[in-house]
Amino acid sequence: MKKLTLVALISSLLLTAPLAWAADQAPLKIGVMAPVTGQWASEGQDMVNIVKLLADEVNKNGGANGQQIAIEVADDGGDPKTAALAAQRLVSSGVTAVIGTYGSAVTEASQDIYADGEVLQIATGSTAIRLTEKKLPLFFRTCPRDDDQGRVLAKHVQAMKITKAALLHDNSSYAKGLAEEVKTILDGTGVQVVFYDAITPGDRDYTTTLTTIKTKAPDIIIFTGYYPEAGMLLRQKKEMAWEVPLIGGDATNNKSLVDIAGAEAANGYYFISPTGPSDLTDPMSQKFMAEYEKRFNTIPSSVWSVLAGDAFKVLVQAASQTEKPTAQNLAAYLHQNLKDFTGFTGPIAFDQKGDRVGDVYRLYRVNPAGTFVLVP
Amino acid sequence: MEFFIQQLINGLAVGGIYALIALGYTMVYGVLKLINFAHGELFTLGAYLGFTLLVSWGLAGTVGVGPAILICMGLVMLLSALAGHVLERAAYRPLRKSGRLSAVVSALGASIFLQNAIMLIWGAKGLAYPADLLPRVMISIAGQPVPLIRVVVFVSSLLVMLGLYFLINRTRIGMAIRASAIDQGAAKLMGIDVRQVIAIVFMIGPALGGLAGVMFGICYGQITFTMGQIYGLKAFTAAIIGGIGNIPGAMLGGILLGVIEALGAAYISMSWKDAITFFALILILVIRPTGILPERVAEKL
Repeated sequence: MKKLTLVALISSLLLTAPLAWAADQAPLKIGVMAPVTGQWASEGQDMVNIVKLLADEVNKNGGANGQQIAIEVADDGGDPKTAALAAQRLVSSGVTAVIGTYGSAVTEASQDIYADGEVLQIATGSTAIRLTEKKLPLFFRTCPRDDDQGRVLAKHVQAMKITKAALLHDNSSYAKGLAEEVKTILDGTGVQVVFYDAITPGDRDYTTTLTTIKTKAPDIIIFTGYYPEAGMLLRQKKEMAWEVPLIGGDATNNKSLVDIAGAEAANGYYFISPTGPSDLTDPMSQKFMAEYEKRFNTIPSSVWSVLAGDAFKVLVQAASQTEKPTAQNLAAYLHQNLKDFTGFTGPIAFDQKGDRVGDVYRLYRVNPAGTFVLVP
Repeated sequence: MEFFIQQLINGLAVGGIYALIALGYTMVYGVLKLINFAHGELFTLGAYLGFTLLVSWGLAGTVGVGPAILICMGLVMLLSALAGHVLERAAYRPLRKSGRLSAVVSALGASIFLQNAIMLIWGAKGLAYPADLLPRVMISIAGQPVPLIRVVVFVSSLLVMLGLYFLINRTRIGMAIRASAIDQGAAKLMGIDVRQVIAIVFMIGPALGGLAGVMFGICYGQITFTMGQIYGLKAFTAAIIGGIGNIPGAMLGGILLGVIEALGAAYISMSWKDAITFFALILILVIRPTGILPERVAEKL
């Protein structure tokens, strides 16, 4: 049945392509699998809104390579079981490619269904490493991988031209994993890790920790945990009048950090995080965000839904550059020919595993007023 | 050596907070033989009430920081005492005759109730006392710079302990409290209104918890609705190390716990800090099952 649809689709394309009459062509079907309901509903709704807005724009301008684009939405509810059903529905409705979804476990539940149905999938918020380690030929993602953050964090530390770093985590699997990643990378470089240990999250007194770290005289402290502890560390570091810089990961990207530490102590704190929708600096993104705001009265709440927009953009790019937009052809284009494509979140390219090449993470710094500023 | 002194001071500062909370625990236990598990939440309540008075109502802006903090502490102690009284009437008094186990379960229930009530009133997201509430003053102790606020916390807990000790041992109400602690039946026969004594104890204890909450907020800034759990547990441990029911013991236990924590983290392992601390607790209890300064039991003979 599915093969039949594919054959029908291809033959119809073969028939109509030479005529290049947009109106006569069957539209290119792109599915959006998103958590429109459930705990991540706001993410899912933003994803759908962004993709639909972009699709309208593309269709108004004549479509991709003259072919109109039809968007098919399926709700995964943020739940793996629902996702499996949604994936089956999209496959049988004959989509060529699917954008989504947000949670890693949810994406994982749908991966094999799309692979069997020969549908190209671009996940947008699923950062778990294992998803691309399966080497599925039609799977891509526009979001970074969990180990990217460690790489970027280490890169920025190295760029600061320092020799001694203290590494601190909080024993949570996220923070410890990130710290180990950073340590492994730094160990092979000129930066020596002079201190590596964990604090107890939930504590309020880290003076003992800071006093111990101070004896190792590091040039920087890298903290991979969450914002409540980062805030306390900054505050008590200030109380000790110790001027060593502190750098953290994306779990400290929270405005409460400044309330906890106080603006004076938070001043100069570095952290890396994917750019938020309000920080997208290029004119193309800003124009789109303005349009989005005009239509939906608010900007997307996080970067993850913007990555769905990027997924759509690369699909349109691939469709307009390939003769027959089948899943295989699109995937081949994305793997080999897509280089430095301008997405909302920076240049986009994919490696052979389908992971995004290039950094989504940016360096932020807290300014004296207590606001997070993007470091260019 | 400098490192040791600095870490010792760090430990003493944390110990001061533990001691302040432990005093409330021990006070209630001494009289009622009841471990008031809700004490940690009364500490949290104090911190939140202090935040509302000082920051949300802008008390600090209207009368100046110094007086504002003193007024705030007084009001919070009063309100915490009231909360303690209500708690006693609602959760403990009806169960007075039904054995200690029911009272412990009721105390746990009260603790969960209070924690959730705080979350629903002030929100699940933590709050933070402004960092510039007090000017950052450093003083020098044994050649080490120490923030003044830490010293103030430590000295206050010492003063509170002395005040409490004086109240219990030198006043009429203290005599009534001691008498009720030893034998409630005999105290009744001597014309002591034991019910009233218990009510008073249940106001003093929570008032101290509330005071500790405000000081904690001013000292550390960040407050969350769950913090009563971990600090309550630490203070409870401190009270046991010192000998539960004994007022100087709570002070000693709190300080000892703070110092063990700081030195354990500094010299053995930071990640194992809590494990080391509680191992020390077990060790102390093995050697002295009643704690370092046990409640005086000779009077019972």
